[in-house]
Amino acid sequence: MSLLEQISTSLQQGEDKQVFELTNEAIAEGIPAKEILDNGLIAGMDIIGEQFRKHEIFLPEVLLAARAMYAGMDQLKPLFAKEGIPSIGKVVLGTVQGDLHDIGKNLVGIMLKGAGFDIIDLGKDVPPEEFVETAVREGAEVIGMSTLLTTTTPMMTQVIELLKEKGFDSTIKTIVGGAPVSEELARDIGADSYGYDAASAVDRVKELIG
Amino acid sequence: MNTIVQFELSDILPRPEAVLQDQGVPGDRPVPDRIDAVFTQALDIFARSARPTGTISELTAEELTPIFRGEGENEADALLARIYHRADNLALFALTMGSEVSANIEKLFADNDFAAGSMLDSVASLAADKASEVFEARFFQDLSSRGLITPEHLVLGYSPGYCGWHISGQKKLFEYLEPDRIGISLNDSYLMTPLKSITGLLVSGRKEIHQCEPHFGYCSSCKHRSCQERLARLVS
Ligand code: B1M
Repeated sequence: MSLLEQISTSLQQGEDKQVFELTNEAIAEGIPAKEILDNGLIAGMDIIGEQFRKHEIFLPEVLLAARAMYAGMDQLKPLFAKEGIPSIGKVVLGTVQGDLHDIGKNLVGIMLKGAGFDIIDLGKDVPPEEFVETAVREGAEVIGMSTLLTTTTPMMTQVIELLKEKGFDSTIKTIVGGAPVSEELARDIGADSYGYDAASAVDRVKELIG
Repeated sequence: MNTIVQFELSDILPRPEAVLQDQGVPGDRPVPDRIDAVFTQALDIFARSARPTGTISELTAEELTPIFRGEGENEADALLARIYHRADNLALFALTMGSEVSANIEKLFADNDFAAGSMLDSVASLAADKASEVFEARFFQDLSSRGLITPEHLVLGYSPGYCGWHISGQKKLFEYLEPDRIGISLNDSYLMTPLKSITGLLVSGRKEIHQCEPHFGYCSSCKHRSCQERLARLVS
């Protein structure tokens, strides 16, 4: 088994220490960082994502694999110092103002990162302006908003309206999710997409970015 | 009278199968060792950091009316509206697992220990649910010892945010019960901190008053269909 295959396999087994060591070994052997990322870490996460979708493995196993992926990525980071870790798109993510729930948002962020996206996680209780300003400043393609309460869904509308007001609604797409959010509500408030769960959020963001 | 209760950990610890089910792990398959290890880790952190506390206060239907009306946002056919006037005894409660559990969940996520963080979140949510069942049982026993319960009686809890009782009902409930005395606060979006907290109304009455067909307009948007289990208790 090649070193990159070993990284992918250890990642799938959630062995973060092994992934850490193997990634260092691959760096020492002179394998380009981008190759380690794509053919080791992301390749492993792709398999995990597929198995999760098919209900062959479950959330805790996905999260153990994600930790292993982060362990490897941390080793690669300095090698990408200037331009940052290459990604397939940039997403600004957060729980909207007035809400402090972040487990759902965190799971979405972990899955997106595992699929190769660059995630700027603003945390929870995020004001509408912060979503928009960060997305514009960082050149993000997507803003992802999460909430668990019906009372805070109007905050999602505010972000979408602010984007329109500032003329960024055609360049920065929005996706919303969380317990009180539905496909219908997403449409009603003018969001570009809706994610039912973390796995579908990945598919939807990929669609948005094209 | 407003009573403060410290829950026994052994009374509220959720069953492993319930936690794993909450994590999406089906009960009909063997649990992989590494998932089992994460569960044990989460349970251990919960046992060390939970401070399960509640407050409960009996009140009359007349006292409840303005609290239930809240900010005037309830659904016209809110379930409780047709129940509480027919009840024999009522009590408002609030309970929390404490802030340290939530801080630990956050810390685990910050340390990239996502599996343990998510598992601890499930453990704490289910423990909060169990604590509200403990309140139901205690209220039942208390009324029983006062001769206020017959074999036909059942105590069930109803919460703002469920069954047409709008979540903004939290405001008046907080004004009456003052759960800040046990460390629970409410923000402008009606969100309680610590997150693992529950409020509600305990309704004691003959079983038939709780009877309903869960086909209200608001049922379609409810993502937490615990009503079937609750209704099953009417026949048991
Ligand atoms: C950017 O793109 C995207 C895409 C997808 C996205 C996304 C963003 N964000 C999320 N997703 C999606 O992907 C994630 C991963 O799959 C998912 O994220 P979630 O965050 O949804 O999922 C989490 C990982 C797991 N899910 C959860 O943790 C929530 C599950 C349900 C059952 C739930 C639970 C467990 C709890 N609760 Co309660 N609770 C409910 C929930 C009903 C439901 N089935 O969703 C909900 C949220 N609760 C509700 C209520 C009313 C309440 N709860 C309360 C309490 C509790 C518990 C303590 C028992 C427990 C813990 C909650 C907590 N605060 O941590 C109270 C409030 C607590 C507080 N702090 O204020 C209380 C007010 C009840 C009371 N009176 O005490 C309802 C809110 C209704 C409303 N009007 O807003 C509720 C929707 C149930 C219902 N009635 O249908 C997806 O939504």
